[in-house]
Amino acid sequence: MISLAKEDIRHTLGKFIVTAMGVGMLLGIVLIMMGVYRGMISDAEVLLNDLNVDLWVVQDDTLGPFAEASRVHEDLKYTLKSIQAIDKCEAITFQNLQLPLANRKLAVLAIGYDVYGEINPINYNRLIEGTVLQNDHYEIVVSDKTGYKLSDKIKLGRNSYKVVGITHGTVASGGDPLVYISLKDAQELQFTYTNKRIQTDRARGIINKDTHLVNAIIATLKAGYNVDIVAQEIQKWHHKNVYTKVQQKVVLTRNVVEKASKQIGLFTVILIAVATIIIALIIYTMTLEKMKEISIMKLIGLPNSMIIKMIVEETLLLGVLAFIFGNIFAHLIYGKFPKNVVLELNDAWLLFGIVVIASIFASFIGVKKVINADPTVAIGG
Amino acid sequence: MSNIAIKVENLYKSFGKGDTLVEVIKDASFTIDKGELVALVAPSGAGKTTLLMMIGCVDTPNSGQMWIGDEKVYDNKWLTKETRKLRREKIGFIFQAHYLIPFLNIIDNLTLLPQSNGTNDKVSKAKARELLKYLDIADKEKAMPSQLSGGQNQRVAIARALANNPQIILADEPTAALDIHRSVDVLKMLKKIALEQNVAIIMVTHDDRMLPYCDRVMEIENMGVVFKDSK
Repeated sequence: MISLAKEDIRHTLGKFIVTAMGVGMLLGIVLIMMGVYRGMISDAEVLLNDLNVDLWVVQDDTLGPFAEASRVHEDLKYTLKSIQAIDKCEAITFQNLQLPLANRKLAVLAIGYDVYGEINPINYNRLIEGTVLQNDHYEIVVSDKTGYKLSDKIKLGRNSYKVVGITHGTVASGGDPLVYISLKDAQELQFTYTNKRIQTDRARGIINKDTHLVNAIIATLKAGYNVDIVAQEIQKWHHKNVYTKVQQKVVLTRNVVEKASKQIGLFTVILIAVATIIIALIIYTMTLEKMKEISIMKLIGLPNSMIIKMIVEETLLLGVLAFIFGNIFAHLIYGKFPKNVVLELNDAWLLFGIVVIASIFASFIGVKKVINADPTVAIGG
Repeated sequence: MSNIAIKVENLYKSFGKGDTLVEVIKDASFTIDKGELVALVAPSGAGKTTLLMMIGCVDTPNSGQMWIGDEKVYDNKWLTKETRKLRREKIGFIFQAHYLIPFLNIIDNLTLLPQSNGTNDKVSKAKARELLKYLDIADKEKAMPSQLSGGQNQRVAIARALANNPQIILADEPTAALDIHRSVDVLKMLKKIALEQNVAIIMVTHDDRMLPYCDRVMEIENMGVVFKDSK
C-alpha cells in the first residue's frame, strides 16, 4: 500500500526537514526552559545535600540563612552538643561576596566552616583539584565557575586568600558559585570592620562588637533518634528556630526559588502553547498547499481515511522530528548558559507527550480542511 | 448482463430556491452503451460540468433515476451512502489538465486508486504497467509527473482513469490544452480505449473539430439532453 505521507515528505524532503528544524529549535528552547527550572531546584539543594545534616538551628522568627538573615551565637553549638541525641554539631556562615576578577567582580556565596570541626560542607566528590581547607586562615576553596586556578591569590577584605581547592557543580540557590573559607575568616570578613570604621564606632560609643556570631548551627543525630522529636525539643528553647533537612528543603523550594521557578514554569507553558500553535499553522499551511491534490483524490474516489492518514502521519512525523532536533539543539547549547541547566529524561518524555498531543490537535485542523474539501474544485467548479 | 454503461431518466438539477431558483438540467434522459465515445457539448454555463458531476456521482441531482451498468445508483436519492466508492470502482476521470498527484511517481499515481480498492500491490502494478505499455509510455513508470511533457502526463492521466477497470470514463475537456494534432491523437486513443476496454466515454468538449471522432454528440438544449449527428 502506498504511503501518501512518505511519498509527500520524500517529494519535499528539504522543506520538511528545515520546517522540523525550525519547530525543533523552538522545542529545544522549551527543553532548555525546563532545564533552567530543574537547574534552579537542583542548585538550591546543592549545599543542603552536600552538608546533609539533620538539623538547622537558626535565629528565632527567621527561615534560616537560605532565605533571610539569621544570626546565632557560635557557642550555641556547645549547648547543642550537650544533647544526647546530637552526634556532630558545627557553626556555619553564609555570606555574599564579590570576588575580584581581572576587570569585574564576580558574585559568590561564601560558606564559612570550622576547618578542624566535625562537619565539612565540601563534598569530596565535587572537589576536582587541590584539597579542602587545611588551615583556619587565608585559604579558600572555589568553584571552577569562578575561573580561579590553584594557588591563585584572592584579595578579600584586608587579607589575601590562597586558592587551595577547586570544586565543580557547587552553586548557591541563586545560581552564584560557592566558595569555602574558614569560619574565623568568614567571621572576620562579616563582622570585622576597617580601622577607620572601628574608630568611628568607638566615637559613637559602640565598643567590643561581638564577632563570634554565625548564621546557623548545623547538627547530625545519632542513630535511633527521631529528628522531628529532637527538633521539637530544641524549638522549646528561647530565641531559636529549628528546621529539619526536609523543612529546609521546603524553605528553599517554596520561599527561595518559588517565584523564579513559577516564572520559568509559566514561560515554559507559554512556549509550549506557541509551539503548538506554530505546528498547527504549519500543518494548516501544508494542507492548504495540497488542497488541489486533495480535491483530485476525493474526486477520483480515494477514501477520506487515506487522505486523513496522510495528514496525521505527516503531522506526527513533523512533531517527532522536531522533538529529535529540539533535543539535539538543547544538548548542544545548554552548557553555554551561565546558570545551571539540568536536562532530565523525564522532562524530555513529558515534552514528547505534549508534542504528540499537540501534533494530533494540530492535525485536526488539516483533517477538518480535508473533510470539507469540495472535490469539484478539481475541475474548477 | 446488458450492454448499457449508463442510463439516466428524468434527471433534474437546480440551484437555490424561491426567487433565486436556477434550473440547470431538466428531464434529462439518455442511455450510453459500453464501447461508445460520446461528446457532450453546450455553451458555457449550460450545465455540462453539472451533468458530468451528477453522472460521476459527485454532485447530487434533485430528482430522477440513474443506473451505472446494471446497478441503479440513484432514485430521487443516492441508493448508497458511499458515492465515493461508486466512483472508485466504476468511474474513471480525465481532466483538462492531467492533475496527477505531483508527489507520486507515475506507477504510484496509477496504482493508488486500485490499491485503495483492495487490489494488492503486485496485481495493481501489473495492471498499471500493462496500461503504460498500452499508451506507449512504459519507460516512464519511475518518473515524476514534473519530469514528463504535457502530452505524456495526459496519457498517464488516461491510464489512471482506466486503472480501476471503470464502466464509464468522464473526460472534462481533455484536449483543451493540446494542439490539434495532439488532440486528434488523444481522441483516437480514447476511441480505441472505448472499443478495446469496452468502456463508455463521455467527453465534454468545446472543439467542434473533435466531434467527427466521437460516436455520438450529446447536447444540452433548453436544459434537456438531445443527441445530434456527430458528422
